[in-house]
Amino acid sequence: MWETTVDGRVLHFRLAGINNQNFIMRDDETGTWWQQVSGKAIQGPLKGKQLKGVFHDEISFSIWKREQPHGRVLKPDERILASNQYAKPNWETSVGAMRVVEGTDVDQRLAPRTLVIGVSAAGKSVAYPLTALQKQSPIIDTLGSVPIVIVLGDDKRSVRAFERTVEGRRLEFFQKTENNELQLIDAETGSTWNFEGKATGGPLSGRELKKVFVLEDYWFDWRIYHPDTTIYNLG
Amino acid sequence: MANVQSRRKIAWLVLLVLVVVVLAIVLTPVFLIMPFKAQTPRIVEISYLMRRWSPWLTLFASALMVLLAIRLWLGGRWWSRALLVLLLLPAFAATWLARQNHFEWMFNPLPNAAYAKSTDVSFINDDDRVLSVTIGGESVAYPVRLMAYHHLVGDTVGGTPIVATY
Repeated sequence: MWETTVDGRVLHFRLAGINNQNFIMRDDETGTWWQQVSGKAIQGPLKGKQLKGVFHDEISFSIWKREQPHGRVLKPDERILASNQYAKPNWETSVGAMRVVEGTDVDQRLAPRTLVIGVSAAGKSVAYPLTALQKQSPIIDTLGSVPIVIVLGDDKRSVRAFERTVEGRRLEFFQKTENNELQLIDAETGSTWNFEGKATGGPLSGRELKKVFVLEDYWFDWRIYHPDTTIYNLG
Repeated sequence: MANVQSRRKIAWLVLLVLVVVVLAIVLTPVFLIMPFKAQTPRIVEISYLMRRWSPWLTLFASALMVLLAIRLWLGGRWWSRALLVLLLLPAFAATWLARQNHFEWMFNPLPNAAYAKSTDVSFINDDDRVLSVTIGGESVAYPVRLMAYHHLVGDTVGGTPIVATY
C-alpha cells in the first residue's frame, strides 16, 4: 500500500502486468511501471523512484470493527458482485492449492504455499510460519538490534508486531489466558496491553508500542523478495 | 511486365513482414508477462519497451499495410484478395489490442470506489480479512475478497492520496 505523490505530483495507478506472480502497476501520468510488492519504479521515465509505504494491517473484519467503529469500508462493484467474480468466503483454501511460479529455484525449507508472517527490521528479514504463532503467541524476538514482539489476535488469524522498547526499557510480554479479548502483560511492570499495542492499565497505562509492518505472504513469494530471509523455529 | 510482377512480389513481401512484426510486438508481451510464468528483469524490460512503442508502431504499420493492400487489391485475382483479408484482419486486431489493457478485462478497475459505514455492512463477514489503513484519525478497511479481484484502489485517507494494493 503506497502513497501516490511522487515529486509533488499525484499519480494514478492501474494494472499493467505480472512479474513473478506479483503485479506491475502503470501510472497514467508518466507510463512508468511499478512493482506492487516493493513500490519501486522498474521501467520507464521514473525508473529508480520509490513510493512511500503506507502502514497497514491485515486483520479480521471483526477486530477492525471493534477498534474502528467510525471507519469506512470499501463497497463491492455491484456488477462484479452480481456476476459472482469476487473471491468466495473460502478463497484462501483454493488459492493455497494453486500452483506457483514455474522455473524458479525452489527453496525447500518450507512448502511453497506455507503462510508466513514476514517481518523486516534492521536489515534482517524473518519469516514466522503462521502455524508457529498459532502454537505460541506472543513470540519475543530481536531482529538485528530491534527487539520485537509478534502477537496473534483473539481471532487466531490476525497478526501484529511491535517494537517492545518503552523509554529505553526492553519489555517481555505474556498473554493473559483467562480473557476472551486478547490482553498482554509485560513482565517488567505488570501493565496490560491490547492488540493495538496500547497499554490499558498499570504503570505504563497510556503508552503505545511502535508498530512494525508485517506481511502475510506465501513462503515462495516472501523468499523471492527477501532472498536472505531466515525462518523462525519454535524453540 | 516482368517489372510489375517483381514489384508486386516486393509489396507482398513487405506486407508479410509488417504483419509478422505487428503481431510479434503486440503478442510477445502478452505471453511474456503472463501469470504463473517466471520473469527476469530483461523480460520485463523487453515487455515494457514493446508495450510502450506498440501503439505507435502498429498504427504506422497499419497505414503502410493499407497502402500496400490497395495496390495489391487492384489487379489482384480473387485468391490474392482473400489472402490480403486473411493477413490484414489479425494485423488490425493486433493494432487495436495494442491500445487495450487486457489485465483490466480480467480484473475490472474500480475508478469510483464507494464506501459504507462500518456499522452498515452486509457484504462482508466477521471473519473476512481486511486491509486496514489509519491516517490522521481516519480509518478505512479494504476487504481482501474485493482487493483480490481489483488488486488496486485509489483513495485519499486523512488527506493523503494513496493506492491500496493487494
